[in-house]
Amino acid sequence: MAASTIINNGCKRSTSPAAPMTAFPMDSAADHRAGEPISEAEALARLRDSGDPSQQYYAAWWLGRMRCQHPEAVPLLQQALQQRRPRDPGAGVEENAVARNAARALGKLAPAATAAVPDLLTVLEDPDDGLREAAARALGELRATEAVVVICRLLASGPDGAGASRADSPRLMEPCEALLEALGDIGIASTTVLGVVKPFIDHGRPVIRSAAARTLLQLSGESRWGELLVELLSHPQLQVRRAALMDLGAAGWRPALEPIRRTPAENSLKLIALRGLVERGSGEPSNDALLACMDDLL
Amino acid sequence: MPAPVTLDALLEALNGASSSEALVEATWALARRGDAAAAPALVDVLGYNNPGAAVAAVDGLVALGAAAVDPLLRLDPENYGARAWAVRALAGIGDVRGLEVLIDALGSDVAASVRRAAAKGLGTLELDHLAPETRQTVQLRCLNALVAAAVDGEWVVRYAVAVGLESLARTLVPGTEARQRLDAALAALCDEDDGNPPVVRLRARMALDRLVER
Repeated sequence: MAASTIINNGCKRSTSPAAPMTAFPMDSAADHRAGEPISEAEALARLRDSGDPSQQYYAAWWLGRMRCQHPEAVPLLQQALQQRRPRDPGAGVEENAVARNAARALGKLAPAATAAVPDLLTVLEDPDDGLREAAARALGELRATEAVVVICRLLASGPDGAGASRADSPRLMEPCEALLEALGDIGIASTTVLGVVKPFIDHGRPVIRSAAARTLLQLSGESRWGELLVELLSHPQLQVRRAALMDLGAAGWRPALEPIRRTPAENSLKLIALRGLVERGSGEPSNDALLACMDDLL
Repeated sequence: MPAPVTLDALLEALNGASSSEALVEATWALARRGDAAAAPALVDVLGYNNPGAAVAAVDGLVALGAAAVDPLLRLDPENYGARAWAVRALAGIGDVRGLEVLIDALGSDVAASVRRAAAKGLGTLELDHLAPETRQTVQLRCLNALVAAAVDGEWVVRYAVAVGLESLARTLVPGTEARQRLDAALAALCDEDDGNPPVVRLRARMALDRLVER
């Protein structure tokens, strides 16, 4: 799982700012730059009325980050999804960036966002692979069982098809990491799903192998997938170790406690991983042991 | 047997480090030395924008304890990165002279990683040597800062607040007003309705259970 997709249970009451602190007080008469702390009403207004992609981009992000429960949030985000276009690299904050943030935000707005599942399913087949990725993650977070068929179809060509590198970018033909993880989150452990995921265990990129192992572990509970992830905690590349940490947390694989503690990586990521072990795992090591380790990492 | 390395040689190695790896290595060597005279140099490393070296420097400064506090407090407040690491060092040292920095960090730093370190640190300040009245004032300020941070938007800060509150509780006499307020704050962190995720609720519950046993 990408280290940038951080589990975060946001809360409406907050002493932490939604954006970098400014030294001067809010002046309602002044032009509010995107990035200053805003209210829910302001976020909705920007998304609905501003017509300015950079304002909408921030507003969409804000609604997801703050887990906004306002009844207008999901419909406005659905509309923002419709703003997608064929990618234009020359554009400033491109329209698809707004649609991507809208998809990401929808993933955080269950249960109201289940109304948007059909829209997200359509976006899952958009020509823009960044949009497909965002839609896949959102559908996974929403546990949308309807997405399983499409996701399996996108992955069916395997590591050498969907998982093949593109000539002109570091990305793969399909956003495999996101698609695999969505299958794990949705939780349908059918023969078809397992059959589609399994080949990716041998993908050339360790981060993809990590995603496949995580999903197989979530769906089957078989310890060999947990062991594979633990091995990746010893990988020479930090980015791979980070991915393995996030995947172990997502799967709640408690036997990984000691390897997690010891792996060279940021404490912040270890804390996230251990939270996953506590909340999604069971058995040994016990909660007491897990929490003691978390205390030490603060 | 090789001649012992002088402090000056270690400082030279630090100043002359020409790569990131060399800087990290030189910092660890200085940190393990345990020489208070190295404190200012270790504090300087906090501002070099090298996380690997900063981790080593924090380790060394925490080991030096009280001797590192003045150099840490004299840090340039404009260098955000250095300040963030300094919070972690002061939290680890537990010297009461770090109180203001920790309270400020918990209440206003933009980074959750800094706030969580500050929260934990506010629970473990050394208070035994203080005059009773001063001790009480400090405890109250720690308590107030932790209670205010119990509604932080980041789960890991709330988690650290539970940890800080548990540590602080052990310095408070049961039944006093302060202790009751503290227990109430932990109880609130056990509450699902306040947006506390399961791991935070579990940690707060564990704290309350352990405090009762005492």
